[in-house]
Amino acid sequence: MLKMLKLGLITTLILTMTIGCGQNKNESATGGQTKTESTAPAKQQDNVKLVYYGWNPSEEQMTKSMIEKFEEENPNITIEYFAYEPSSYWPKISALAASGNLPDVFEMSSGYVDEWASKGLLHNIQSMVDRDIDKNNYFTSVFNAVKYPDKETGDMYAFPYAWVTTVLYYNKDLFDAAKLEYPKKEWTWDDFLNAAKKLTIDKNGDGKTDQWGLYLFGRYAHIEPWVYQNEGRLLNEDKTKFELNANGKEALQFLTDLTVKHKVSPSPKDITGIKQDEMFGQGKVAMWVDGSFAIDGTRKTVGDNFNWDITTIPRGPNWKEDMTYGWPDNISISKNSKHAEEAWKFIKFMSGKDRPIETYSGGKVPIYKPTANQQAWLETDKQPASKKIILEQGANIGRNSYTKSWSEWRGYAAAKGSGLNGELDQVFDGQKTLDQAIESVTPFANEVLSRK
Amino acid sequence: MHYGKISPYLFLLPTLLGLALFRLIPVGVSFYAGFTSWNIYSPPEWVGLDNYTEMFKSKPFWTVLQNTLQFSLVFVVSVCVTGLVFAVLLNAKLRGIRFFRGLFFLPVITSIVAVGIAWNWILTPQAGILNLLLEKVIGLTESVSWLGDKKYALYSLTMVYVWKNVGYQMIIYLAGLQSIPRELGEASKIDGANSFQSFFFVTLPLLTPTVFFVLIITIIESFNTFGITHSMTEGGPYNATNTLSYFIYQNAFVHFRMGYASALAYVLFLLTLLVTGIHFLVKKRWVKYQ
Amino acid sequence: MKNRKYVKNLFTYLFLSLYGTATLFPFLWMVVTTFKSEGAIFEIPPKLIPDKLFKPGMWDNYTEVLLDYNFLLYLWNSTLISGAASFGQLITCSMAGFAFARMNFFGRGFLFTVLVAMMMIPVEVNIIPEFLMFSKIGWLDSYLPLIVPSFLVGSFGTFMLKEHYMNVPQSLEDAAVIDGCKTFQIYRHIFFPLSTAPLATIFVIAFMNNWNDLLRPVLYIQSPELRTVSLGLTQFQSLYSTDWNLMITGSVVSILPLIIVYLFTQRFIIDGMMTSGTKG
Repeated sequence: MLKMLKLGLITTLILTMTIGCGQNKNESATGGQTKTESTAPAKQQDNVKLVYYGWNPSEEQMTKSMIEKFEEENPNITIEYFAYEPSSYWPKISALAASGNLPDVFEMSSGYVDEWASKGLLHNIQSMVDRDIDKNNYFTSVFNAVKYPDKETGDMYAFPYAWVTTVLYYNKDLFDAAKLEYPKKEWTWDDFLNAAKKLTIDKNGDGKTDQWGLYLFGRYAHIEPWVYQNEGRLLNEDKTKFELNANGKEALQFLTDLTVKHKVSPSPKDITGIKQDEMFGQGKVAMWVDGSFAIDGTRKTVGDNFNWDITTIPRGPNWKEDMTYGWPDNISISKNSKHAEEAWKFIKFMSGKDRPIETYSGGKVPIYKPTANQQAWLETDKQPASKKIILEQGANIGRNSYTKSWSEWRGYAAAKGSGLNGELDQVFDGQKTLDQAIESVTPFANEVLSRK
Repeated sequence: MHYGKISPYLFLLPTLLGLALFRLIPVGVSFYAGFTSWNIYSPPEWVGLDNYTEMFKSKPFWTVLQNTLQFSLVFVVSVCVTGLVFAVLLNAKLRGIRFFRGLFFLPVITSIVAVGIAWNWILTPQAGILNLLLEKVIGLTESVSWLGDKKYALYSLTMVYVWKNVGYQMIIYLAGLQSIPRELGEASKIDGANSFQSFFFVTLPLLTPTVFFVLIITIIESFNTFGITHSMTEGGPYNATNTLSYFIYQNAFVHFRMGYASALAYVLFLLTLLVTGIHFLVKKRWVKYQ
Repeated sequence: MKNRKYVKNLFTYLFLSLYGTATLFPFLWMVVTTFKSEGAIFEIPPKLIPDKLFKPGMWDNYTEVLLDYNFLLYLWNSTLISGAASFGQLITCSMAGFAFARMNFFGRGFLFTVLVAMMMIPVEVNIIPEFLMFSKIGWLDSYLPLIVPSFLVGSFGTFMLKEHYMNVPQSLEDAAVIDGCKTFQIYRHIFFPLSTAPLATIFVIAFMNNWNDLLRPVLYIQSPELRTVSLGLTQFQSLYSTDWNLMITGSVVSILPLIIVYLFTQRFIIDGMMTSGTKG
């Protein structure tokens, strides 16, 4: 009996092992280009394999064809490419970093550059940038976002391939129906409020608003633009403390009044359960502030249902010059990569003239100016008509509130209920006054920021 | 029954092997991680009890802990009772009962993303189906934000969890009911008992081992909820639906504070152990084996 | 008497249908959505009749998901992983459950406590140490980390079967001993066949858990041809966008095997009823 038992155990164990391994082998044989070990031996002396991780799985095919082109031009370099969507991407590359296998090249968010650079995980690319990059051809104003330790004087630890900004979306048909002039760049907050009031309509007289002037979704891309257009700040100068200045508070108060006092925007609890980018797309609101990256999705939801356009965020009472909230998306080289030069070559390729314009559809702007300036980028056959205002904002991007542990004190994504985001939601829902919220979030944020 | 000294361990060999290699090693490391500051991508640093002191001083932690206990209580009671009722109903000899068995299990299978979107639509104040229904049936005038209002959010979410998960408990109960000879219940009916009596006095006592198992499993499950919170509320509004297991996820993979997340996990572990431990202690009093 | 029974059955059916509607709705929405164009998915209020139904391009989402996105392969991969892992649980859990329920040995209580306690520690904090371990032994980008641990040890299944086996009358076991059965035979011929209902349940649950697991495949699988269904579903997301129609279609495709497995194992639960308690 014992024998039988042992035998059974061993066979089951072996069976599993072979299923796992066998699968692995079989598939890699049939799998094609992704396994690079088997590719033909090119020039022996400097054959280099780079591992590249990206966060755009739905652009996998496009990326693969770019890589093929790169490999054709550089026969001694092969690229092994993997893509994961962002909420899997970060755990994955963090785990890889922990096991000492960080990919040579990987995509890097502006919000994480400081953190990853401070841990010695990123390669300082400043000297290579100085050597190879013709500054006239790039939107260099957004380079600051990837500098460390200081955003002005530090060195670059990642290289942008695209940047995005925040804009005011508006529904032209609703403006026409209310016989109002379209929003324009010079709009002040008063102009904005007046229009918003007239666009807030209870169509059937049941006491419930059916159409709102604005949809204020209280996350970073929807709040910060107003703060910066009023010369406001959430943090102190060197970003070590949460210190909402008077202008910043004025902006938050204005937004609070829009929701609580004038009721031209639904409160967060009024629209719980609706995906935030659907409100504008469904024609339920006349105006909406969000990142330019939402253009693509808005095109899909709106279709031909109504006319819409974009402009810059209205200017606050303390406005001095247009200050835009935007950020670049970047590619980094791992500090441990043995092939930094080849990796840099690849990054230049991925962010330069060879990156096809189709990857920048909607409001994603190529960092490489000649591509951005092509007529094709404006997509004049599609809405919105004023896409070029995005390009103009390239020079105005400067301020942001990214810090270490930003997700925690700001309340980001899957943690939207915490930090400043959670507090502001309470204010917009009428549960707290703005002062109470600031009083409550300041010590919390400062404790998070003071952590080593 | 005496089976000798070695055979128990032989029967347990795969389990012990798997436990030692694949479960205990990671658990040991994560327990250690609870005493470190660790962002995953760079090496952990020893910080002693800092994570635990921070936790007990932090306001969000206590909110989240309170939510967890509230959630757990409502979830466990609802699921254990509803699951049993469903199982008994579906154990009946009726035409087409197998169809309903499949139907009642459907939520367990339905993808969590689709569940999130569909339930958000049912519960939203923007022409949500539930509000429309209540308007027609009981004349509700103001639209309630079931997931956006702090008063209701946690309970609404709990109900979605119950809806989604009760199928599990249902099939466990069903499996338990199947092992009880039907003749026993029928015999008691001949003796003049009605179906309620025969259920409570004949079937239920025989089912106590299954009830006990379901109870323990459900308690553990209630402390480890994640998916629906992630696809529906993400802990909002203002942490009103944030529970410990979701808070652990946030710290581990949104804020990358694996050290703190590990410390939280072991507090959650102790809590679960305590609650289930009590049930194991009083088990003898009500669980009867054949 | 008979009338009362009819009334009772009527109420039962009424209740079953009512709750059945509630269970069906999200599922139905999911299926309906797969026939909608991208802009129409989130219309408020939602429409029940999809815009592409019975029109050209009705099956576009399905062909794209199954062929362009390789879901046929992913379905096969996931079936293999979940099948192997859950199959293992049937053997290992029933053996362990038998030992815990019917044998006396040193450390029984302690081992059982440890086993159940393993369910109480959130996977989020154990997964990185686990990843580092598998990375050290070179199991990355293979199915080994997805199959072997689940194959060997199942706290849930062991616990469930222990409770089940404790409920088996002593007389059955004694009779077997008198017949001269050896330990393994007692397990194999008396206890194992008695537990088809719980085993079917364990198989369904283990299969489903393995099928839906995302965190482990994300960390352990790299090669596109090794992807699981859950991993495949994340392909429709990107930094700034989600292809909802493809994602929902992918979800529908990915749960079809689960329905088949569930219906298949239900047969055993019915069969279990016929045999249990009367044998011996």
